[in-house]
Amino acid sequence: MGAETIREWQEELDKNVRRLRNLQTLVTRPVEPRVGQTPREEIYKTNKSRLYRYASSRRYRTPVLFVPNLGISRPYIFDLLPGGSFIEHMTREGFDFYLLDWGVFGPEDNDLTVEHCVTKILPRMAQKVLQSSDARELSVLGYCMGAPMSASFIATHPEVPVKNYIDLAGPVDFSKVGVFGLWLKKEYFNVDRVVDTLGSIPADLVKAGFKLVKPTMDLSTSLNLWWNLWNDNYVEGFQALNRWANEYVAFPGEFFRQWVRDFYQENKLYRGELVMGGRPVRLENITCPVYVVGAKEDYIAPPACVRALIDLVGSRDKEYVELPGGHISLIAGRGAARHCWPKVSGWLARH
Amino acid sequence: METTPNQLFEMWRKQVEESAQVWTRLLSPERPAATPPDPTVFWRPVLDQGLQTWAKLFAQTPATPELLAQWKQFLDQWIEAWSKILGQTMGTEQFAKLMGQSFDQFLAALGPLRKAAEQQTEQALQALGLPSRSQVTAVAKQIVELEERLERLEDRIDAVLRRFDGKEPK
Repeated sequence: MGAETIREWQEELDKNVRRLRNLQTLVTRPVEPRVGQTPREEIYKTNKSRLYRYASSRRYRTPVLFVPNLGISRPYIFDLLPGGSFIEHMTREGFDFYLLDWGVFGPEDNDLTVEHCVTKILPRMAQKVLQSSDARELSVLGYCMGAPMSASFIATHPEVPVKNYIDLAGPVDFSKVGVFGLWLKKEYFNVDRVVDTLGSIPADLVKAGFKLVKPTMDLSTSLNLWWNLWNDNYVEGFQALNRWANEYVAFPGEFFRQWVRDFYQENKLYRGELVMGGRPVRLENITCPVYVVGAKEDYIAPPACVRALIDLVGSRDKEYVELPGGHISLIAGRGAARHCWPKVSGWLARH
Repeated sequence: METTPNQLFEMWRKQVEESAQVWTRLLSPERPAATPPDPTVFWRPVLDQGLQTWAKLFAQTPATPELLAQWKQFLDQWIEAWSKILGQTMGTEQFAKLMGQSFDQFLAALGPLRKAAEQQTEQALQALGLPSRSQVTAVAKQIVELEERLERLEDRIDAVLRRFDGKEPK
């Protein structure tokens, strides 16, 4: 055995000592990871939902309203850790950034519908953004189910001055939405029975659905943790991500009923049959510049169902890009910092 | 050695069949004494495959920590192959149908149980003079509605003020 091989084995031994040390810390003294550290201020709240404004140099005057998913997970994934935060990136670039945190709903909110979110909450949030930033226009950035919801809002509220719209991994054509679309088909999934029996969709059921869609996820996560357990930075990132990945959020019952029936089962948004607040939701009414981002390995909102928005909007200035990554890694993590964040901030800066 | 998802699927099918046979024999009241069953038999092909690959790696590569990286790579590929197979299985109409049926059965069983439990809890709380879950929820709902009404009032006042300020046409 040569000197080089001995040195390599010594390094490996050293790594294993560090692995054991970190494992002991994880088991005996687990620390609560400090997530969401970018300074922010609560601008407005209604029921469980909050609007936060993040501190920035405001190099760009047009504020950005970020609309993430309602239910499923908490939005601190977008501001996970310093150096690994989409929000930190946007504020560092000089955008006046606002996050809509839908909140965690209880049984008293079971009557909340998608329609209420689109026609009541989103217009108010947009108005509060404009007031707070003292701007004449705003850009809207929708992620995941926040994208079809914000697209419905823009399409039905022409009086709201939306300068730009970005759809990040947000499904629009639900006939191409992949495995969830199949499981939630009318023939197999009786949404009325589910909501009438359970009232709301409990967080554990949401968790079971997402675990089932990728059953090997926990195995590969554990394997990767063991492999990188010697690396303190990895462990810190893992703890934060693991906390988020296991903190599921319930759906209000009526919201889930409308979401599954109108969007997944009847594909009303894509077919132009959706009506909200008495107004038909016509995506061709969106005429501002539109940027659509799909993720190549996204099995929750596959690229085809996201890309569909491009053909439906009435905008002249519209662009679709497909970036590496999955539904989450498109916007969170090291890959996102390299591929997605600069694209989004760059496009907004040019518009 | 290249392992395709089809090969893994075949292996998986074989394991399931063999394990079913083993468990049937184990649970059978008239077990033939001559051939004692081995419940671990269905994992053997997988272990064999892993050991063979591992042995090949040892034979081809000098014993450096690089071997561990290769072992990790092998496990990653193995998990990925399984993920693909499971994904394909779960992406079928049959699986969706089966899952829907199971969930429906679960809800059909849960519905009456839940209702009965809720009624009993409600009665017990009422007897103790304590507010029930539905009463607390109703109060919370009223607060939400009240907040909503205040919001609407605030919106109207804002609109009137904007008109006074001349920011909005009358």
